[in-house]
Order: sequence, then C-alpha cells, then structure tokens
Amino acid sequence: MLTDLISSLPPWGLVEAQMFNGLQQGMLLALISAGLTIIYGTLGVLNLTHGALYTLGAYAGYVAYQATGSFLTAIAAGALCTLLVGLVLERGIIRYYYNRPDEDQIIVTFGLGIIIVEAIRSYFGGMSRNMPAPDWGQGASQLGFLQYPFPLYKIETIAISAIVLLIFYLVLYRTRLGLVVRAGIEDSGMVSLLGVNVFRAFFVVFAIGAMAAGLAGVINAPITAPTPDGGEKFLVYSFVVVVLGGVGSFPGAVVGGLLAGQIMTLTSLFYPSLSEVMLYVAMALILIFRPRGLFGQAGRT
Amino acid sequence: MTATAEQTSTRSTSSKKHGWGHLAVEAAVLAGLLAAPFVLPLISMSMDVMTRSLIWGLFGLGFAILFGFTGLLSLGQAAFYGAGGFLASYLLTNGIIEQTLLALLIGTLAACVLGLAIGLLVERSKGIYFAMITLAFGEMFYHLDYSTLSGYTGGENGLAGVPVPLIGSYTIETSLGMYYFVAVLFFLGYLLARRVVASPVGRMMMAVRDNEERAKATGNATHLYKLVAIVLSAAYGGLAGGLLGIFQNYMPPEAFAFESSAQLLIQTVIGGAGVLLGPLVGASVWLYLHDLLQFNLGLGQSWKLILGVIFVLLITFLPSGLLGEARRLIHWLRARGPADEADDNEAASTVVADAGSWPVDEPTPEYGPVILEARGVSKHFGGLAANSNIDFSVREFELRAVIGPNGAGKSTFFKMMAGVMPPSEGTVHFDGNNITGKGVTRVCQMGMSTSFQINELFDRLTVRENLMIPCLAKARGRFRLDMIRRAERVPELDARIAETLELVNLSHRADTPVSHLAYGEKRRLEIGLALATRPKLLLLDEPLAGMSPEERQNTVRLIKSLRAGRTVIVVEHDMDAVFELADNISVLVEGKILVEGPPDEIRSHPKVQEAYLGGVDA
Amino acid sequence: MSLLHVEKLNSYYGDSHILFDIDITVERNEVVALLGRNGAGKSTTLKSIAGAVKPRSGSVRLNDHEMCGHPAFEVARRGLQLVPEERRIFGALTVEENLKLAAFSADDAEPLGKIYELFPRLEERRRSGGRTLSGGEQQMLAIARALIRKPDIILLDEPFEGLAPVIVQNLMQVCERIAAEGQTIVVVEQNVYAALKFSHRAYILNNGHMVYEGTPADLKAQPDILHQYLGV
Repeated sequence: MLTDLISSLPPWGLVEAQMFNGLQQGMLLALISAGLTIIYGTLGVLNLTHGALYTLGAYAGYVAYQATGSFLTAIAAGALCTLLVGLVLERGIIRYYYNRPDEDQIIVTFGLGIIIVEAIRSYFGGMSRNMPAPDWGQGASQLGFLQYPFPLYKIETIAISAIVLLIFYLVLYRTRLGLVVRAGIEDSGMVSLLGVNVFRAFFVVFAIGAMAAGLAGVINAPITAPTPDGGEKFLVYSFVVVVLGGVGSFPGAVVGGLLAGQIMTLTSLFYPSLSEVMLYVAMALILIFRPRGLFGQAGRT
Repeated sequence: MTATAEQTSTRSTSSKKHGWGHLAVEAAVLAGLLAAPFVLPLISMSMDVMTRSLIWGLFGLGFAILFGFTGLLSLGQAAFYGAGGFLASYLLTNGIIEQTLLALLIGTLAACVLGLAIGLLVERSKGIYFAMITLAFGEMFYHLDYSTLSGYTGGENGLAGVPVPLIGSYTIETSLGMYYFVAVLFFLGYLLARRVVASPVGRMMMAVRDNEERAKATGNATHLYKLVAIVLSAAYGGLAGGLLGIFQNYMPPEAFAFESSAQLLIQTVIGGAGVLLGPLVGASVWLYLHDLLQFNLGLGQSWKLILGVIFVLLITFLPSGLLGEARRLIHWLRARGPADEADDNEAASTVVADAGSWPVDEPTPEYGPVILEARGVSKHFGGLAANSNIDFSVREFELRAVIGPNGAGKSTFFKMMAGVMPPSEGTVHFDGNNITGKGVTRVCQMGMSTSFQINELFDRLTVRENLMIPCLAKARGRFRLDMIRRAERVPELDARIAETLELVNLSHRADTPVSHLAYGEKRRLEIGLALATRPKLLLLDEPLAGMSPEERQNTVRLIKSLRAGRTVIVVEHDMDAVFELADNISVLVEGKILVEGPPDEIRSHPKVQEAYLGGVDA
Repeated sequence: MSLLHVEKLNSYYGDSHILFDIDITVERNEVVALLGRNGAGKSTTLKSIAGAVKPRSGSVRLNDHEMCGHPAFEVARRGLQLVPEERRIFGALTVEENLKLAAFSADDAEPLGKIYELFPRLEERRRSGGRTLSGGEQQMLAIARALIRKPDIILLDEPFEGLAPVIVQNLMQVCERIAAEGQTIVVVEQNVYAALKFSHRAYILNNGHMVYEGTPADLKAQPDILHQYLGV
C-alpha cells in the first residue's frame, strides 16, 4: 500500500523543481507582502494601490532598460520610481484620510490604483512588454545538486529578493527608523510622546512599502512579462499572505510568503488547476483556527 | 457615503404623517423606469446602456444593503454574480430548464447558499479584514471558474448561446422587451429592498453599522443580522448575474473577476451607497460616460483614466455620492428654520424642564430576594490578578453603589457582572440563572442592562430610532427574520418607546438626530437605551462622568426616579452622589471587596479612608 | 517666570466636559502633587498638558512657550515628558531599544550608564523583550525612558499604582533622589500620604474642578479637606 502511494507521487526531480519555483515565488510574495503589512500595521491603511505599484515598478524598469540596456539600472529605476510615487501619494492624498473611516481609505487607495494602472495603459497600451533577463541571468544551472537544470535568472531572483528582504530586515531591526516603525506599529501615540514625529515616519513607511512592491515588479518582469493588469493578482496574494502571517508582522510576511509560494507550486504538481485555490483554502483555515495569523498579535482583526 | 439620520428620520416621520410618501416615491421610480426608453435617448443614452445599468442597479441593491446600510465593505461580490449567472446560464443553455424565471430563481438560490457559506466565515470580522477576506474569496471563485469548473463554465470562453427569455409561452426577442423584462425584475427587487430597509431587520443592520457593540449589548445577535445582509447581497448578485447572461446571450468569465466587484463598488460610490437607487444612478453615469468618452470623444483607452480621476475627486469631496449628497442638501435646506430655535434654547430648556419632572424623595423600598450573585469570581490577565475571589450579592430593588480607589479593578468587575467579559474563575447568577460567560446579548435578553461611561449611541439615527433598537430586541428576541413588515408596526413598539422617552425626559426630542443633542441629553439617552428593554437589573457605569454640577443634580434625581420597581447597581466616583443615592455601598480595593454596608458605616470606616488616602507612609 | 504655567484649561472627551478652567503653576525644581479621587480628571490634566489629549481651550506655557494644542512630539521636544498611567512600554522592543528610542530625539540625552545606575534592575534585563517585564520593571522602564531625555519637567501619572509595597519603596527612593538632584516633577497619585511625603506643593481636583492648593503641611492640618475630596 505504502509503496503504491510512493510510486504514485511525481518524480523527485519535478518536486525539487517545483520547490524551487515555490521558493522564487515565495520570496517575491514575501517582498510585496512585507511592504503591505508594514503600511497596514503602522498607518492602519489597507493599501489597495500595492498592485498598481508593482506594475509601475515593472514598467519603470522596462523603460530604463530600453534606455540604458543595464538591468541594474532598471532595478534602480523601478525602485526609485515607486518610492517617489509612494511619497507623493502619502503626502498628497492618503494622509488626509487618516481620520476617515477604514472603508473610505480602502476606496480611495483603490481609486488611486485605478488611476496608476490606467495611466500606464494609456501610455503603453494593453499588450505585454518584453523584458529579457539580463546577460548574467541567461541559461540554467543544476547548482550541483538539482536533478533538472533550473533557470538561472530565477535563482538570481531568489538571491536578489533575499538580499532586499535582508536589507529590509536590517533597516527594521538595526536602524533608528526601523525602531520607530516597530514601536509605531505597536503604539504610535507613545512614540509621539517620546518626541518623535510619527507623521514623518508614516510617510517614510508608506514610501518604503511602495518601493518594495515596485522592486518586486521589476525583478519579476523577465519572468512574467509586465502588463497593465499584471499587478492585480499579486495584490490579492499579498492579502492572503498578510492574513496567513499576521497583520503588521515582518516575520509573518516572510514566512507567510514562503509558505504561500510552496502551497501554490506543490499543489500544481498534483492538481494544477487548484494551485491558487489551495492558497485560499489555507487562508480560510487560518481564519477559522487562528484568525490573528501565525505571527500576529491578538485583537487586531 | 452611508445612510444618515436625516434620511432615516424622514422615513419614520413620513410613515406617520405622510403614509403616502412611500408610495409616491415608488410610483415615481416606476414611472421613471417605464418612461426611460423614450426619454433618455434624447441625451443619446442607448438602450444597451439602460438595460446594463438596470442589471448593475439590481446587483447594487444588495450591495447598498450590505455596504450602505450594514456598513460591511465587500470586495468579492463577483463570486455571487458569477455563481448565479453561470448556473442560470448553464441550465438554460443546455436545455435543462426552459422557463427563464425558474432558471433565474435557481441561480439566485445557489448564490444565496454560497453567500451563507462565505458569510459564516466572515460574519465575525469587519472593516479592513472583511474587505481583504471577501476580495480573496472572490478571486478564489474566479480561479475555480477558469480552471476547475471550466467544463461547465467554458473557462476563458465563457458560456455562449444563452437563449432568449421564455416566460410561459412568450419569448422576448426585442431589445425594448428585454429592457422591460429587466426593469420589472429591478422594480420588484427595489420594492423588496425598501421593505427590508424599513423592517426591524433593516433597523438592526443600521445599528450594526453605527455601533455594533451597543447593538449587541441591547440584546441583538448582530452576527446573524450581518449574515442576513451578506446572503441578501448574494441573492441580488446572483439574480443580476443571471440577467447578464440572458441579456448578452452569453455569460462572460469576467463576471467572476475582481473587475466586476470593482465596477460595482465604483458605481455605488458614485451614486451613493446609503441610497438604494445609488448604484443604479452610479451605473448609468459610469456606463454613459464610458460610451461618451471612449467612442463619442474618441479617447479610446484613456476613458478609464479620466473616470478614475473623477472617481477619486468624488470620494474626496462628495463622499455620500451623487444621490447621497443631493439628499443631504435637501435635508439641510428643510432643516433651516424652526428647528434652529430649539437648538439655541437647548441648554436652558433641559435644565429648567428637568428640575420639576421627577419626584425628589422616595421612601426606601422593601427588598426582594437576591437577584445578582457572584461567587468566587476572579479575573487574571497573564500573571496579573485584576479581581480575586469576589463574593458579591445584591437584593432585588436595592440600589447598590460600587466604589474604590484607582486600580481597584472596578471596571474589570463591572464588565464581568455585565457579561462583557467572562470570569477566569467563579460564577455569576442572575435571577436564579447561571449567566457566567453567556455574553451581553443573552444577559440583556434575560433582563440585565448596562449603560456605559462613554456614550455608546447610534450616531446617525434619531433619539426615537436609537430607542427602537433595544425595544425591537425586547419585542422580538435576539434574532428574528422579519424582513417584510415595517419596523414601526411591531406591536407595542411605539408605546414602549414613548414610555422610555418619558422616563428619561426626552419626549420632546424624540425626532432629533443624536448629533444635535446636548451632552446631558446624550447621557440620558445612554441610560434610556439600557432602560428600554425594561430590565430588572440596571447597571450604570459612571453615569455622572463629565457632567457639570447642575447636570449631576439632575442625573441623581433621574436615577432615583428610575429605581422604582427595579434593582440598580452604580459604579461611581462622585462621592456626594454616591452617598445620596445608595442604599448600600461595596468598596473594592486591590481586586477584592474590602467592606460593604450602608453609607454611614462606610463613611466612617477607618479601613476605607486608609484605602483611599494611602494609609501610613508607603 | 514659572517653568510650567497652565491657565483656564478645558478638556473634553468627545463631548464629555472633563476639565473646567484648570489653573496650575509649577516652578523649577519643585515637586507638585496632583491629588483627587479617580474620575476627578487628574490623568486628563496631565495628558492635556503633554499633548496626548487636545484641550478645547486654555493656555499651557512651558518655558514661556505656548504649547496648548500642539502635538505631543513638539511638547516632548520642548522639555516636558509624560510617563503615562498605562506605562505603554513597547512590548516588541527590548529594554535597551525602548531607551534608545527615547534618547533619539533628545538634543541632549542622558548616557545609558547613568540610567542603569539609577535602575540596576533594568541593566540586568537590558536585552529582555518589553513583554516579559514585570509590572515593577515596566514602571521603572517607563520612568527611565522619560529621564533619559533629560526633560525640564516630568509628569508621572500614578507611578505606584498596582505595585507591591517593596517596589513602591524602591521607586519612591528613585523619585526622591531625582527630586533632590533638582528634577521638576508633577506627580498624580492616589496614595495621598506617599505623594505628600516627597512633594513641595499639592493641588486637589474634584469632578474636573481645581478645589484646593497648598503645601503638604497645610493639607495635613486640614483633615476634613482630605476626607471631603480624597476620601469618602
């Protein structure tokens, strides 16, 4: 019986490949979700522009790449562009909504997301743009232990995402700003009582969160060709990750993202059409058994 | 962007004085629907846009109930739209069912079942979490449609060949006929929605939107009302989806996409979520402008960008939507005049009117048996014991005050008595029943009500409408699915509300919105909400909080007048008031009861003084 | 010129009128006690001065700068530090991180060493998460966070509440020491005798009104005032 079960499993090489895919997608999700959860945790705003910012990053990177031919410049462009747009959004509109009910905040960020996506569509049209992988990302490798060669660029994406997440971590846990953010997530009023201008911190938090989404967009562009509507599904995935990992928790976003990646890719080994559905099933399970998420604090739902 | 007091107050006053007002509105809507195909083409609105707007308007009736009236923002309504639509289309296309109305009914019911399932998962959340989760579920269904169930739904191709409507032996083949078919269904849906909103269930939904915790505390199982709102919105969505398939002879997979939920939201916000016709108006505007911008003005792909900008401007400056803001304007215009004078004289009149209204001295009543008893009650938070092993009992008709220095654990104790918080150990018995851990709603239904230190009122409703909430709970129990009758027609409701208004001296302010009340009046309403369920035991948490000296005097008199025929427990810091009111005083210190007794004993008790003043050098 | 001069302060909680025309003056190096039963408005007074609650009217002059209605971080930067009743320690941060955060925005911060000297227990627990601290340790940290900013004036809201007598004694000693070193303090305390022991002057609040001002000696000589406003 057991041997029958084992032999009905897919070959190890495939499983391995999918786990790597899961790792790559998971890292990407972790990056996007980290941005979303920090914004939600500190500012209390559910940022529905997050998907649009992902797309914006991808297109900004594309434009930079067309102009300079350098992939690294593309990454920088994607990050910078979304950082600036994030700053403008927060200062220009979102901060006026801090005292309005949650639903209003959701709706206005949703509207802003439409504007960004439609502006991109107006300018670039609806067809996908081709962003080739950089020269140092061509080809595939077995990394010395894999059964099948795995696309080199995907491996590099894992590395780049990991580095960005590491920087995020260092900023959060080793810098003044990070200290302010972590304290602000818990009790922004007390942070203010200690002489720190929380509003300025809010604005930086929003911008950094936005940048994370944009970076994810440009990094992923060679893997999934950018289209104006491409960011939307990442928006939804990042919600699921935030629910899984817990609101306002950076470790939650990382673990949740990695978990989500694996859930999707491993499910596709057995039931390809159900891969995304399993993600939502996982979300439903967490909601039933541990509504605050894996790392979340009770009372925030 | 949600229903306001002005809207609802007009509805209730008009039902009394202008009963025909309702019928006039409905007749006007019907007339508008009938006339539209002849009038709207004059501004070059096509029949296509009109019929589509009606379909979106129907979808929106349910969404207005969910979001505008119950306050729940769902971003996943597409799941119901798609489910109802695809099921109906599938049945019709494959000839399984030939009668269109039957197929639509089945689709709608299926959507309801789906709504119930999702509703059970999300009923206990709200706000941001609710939005996130509904969005995720909506997407889940989109994926199911595209992949797993694509055998039935046609996957990315959708379901083509949905036949024209067959009703009895008549088919509808013209676009005008189609328009009227949809218009009739819309109108029927509209009538139903109006009934629901005017029903007790509708009142509960608005109470949930304004202050869910208070709605619970006055004896209502709010999560069940939320569930009803979700299922209703699913029903309207499912019906609209079915109509979409029939209208287009084709059921598109995009029905399940986030796009649909998003478009619904946009249209509703444009027209106004707090108005049932808001989504219809919003859809007409959106679709009309879409055609205008994209084709007539040749802007091509950029139409949505422009509409997006308009949308953001609208939310920022006209948050109640076009119809919502129009309604507010009308109310504002109407409200200028006589009502203002009443506002100016508020402060004076309340004090003067109060002075003579209540009997001043009451003989101490005979006490009944023990009505509330806490035995060995403790509460721990982590390692901290807020309350330790408290035994506390109050006899019927007693007026007991609970006092204690700061940090004594009074608010924890109070919450446990009121049923807001379960004890870590021990039991609480009320009127012979064990109420430990039963929760505020059940405790209220059993006859114990609480009034809070900070006003917990239904801010967007009038005084009368506020009192309706506990009175409906008393008349109907914690939950009842009465969506068709008018709330005002619930037996004895008027009498009960009038009685309560008398008791707290707010009869003259019955139809005033809460936002226009003076602070003292709000406090009286606060107590009124607790009184309205005719409790045997009334718990008052710092009823004098934040009051001026005259207001304090008036409130003390009020409490004295209220104690007749009931038991009252008061937590207070105002010692003058405590000594004037209380038959007996319990002193809580460091989480335990230090001493209990009549005022004179307590006053001169050395340990009490010590507890308050800190005793000997620390 | 007084260090802190509050005049005709009115604060509301929603539309609940909590403070009625409060006047308070605090001179440099003074320790002033704010007494009254709970519900009297003592906490609200401190919060209104510190900017945690926005008063509806009145004047709050700190070092002759008008601060009424200014956001909390501005008031903190001007040299006033509130130690709130709930302590509000950042549970997710360590003891040392809590202190460092407080020290950031101070132009001239006390070195960590000096703080640890005052509170050796905190040094032992420097790497522990805020969540793991006992009540007494949390209170120490809350006071330490305020002191590290070298504020001109500290507002202590019920610092001894809910703590074991031994710990209260310990904290009292710290308070007496910093007072002796010249720290200006306003303390809200329900333990009247403890408060009177180390303060120079006292105000009594009742139902949101200021009803008495005097020295501890004055008060002790008028036990009926004590009983009327503070006792039962």
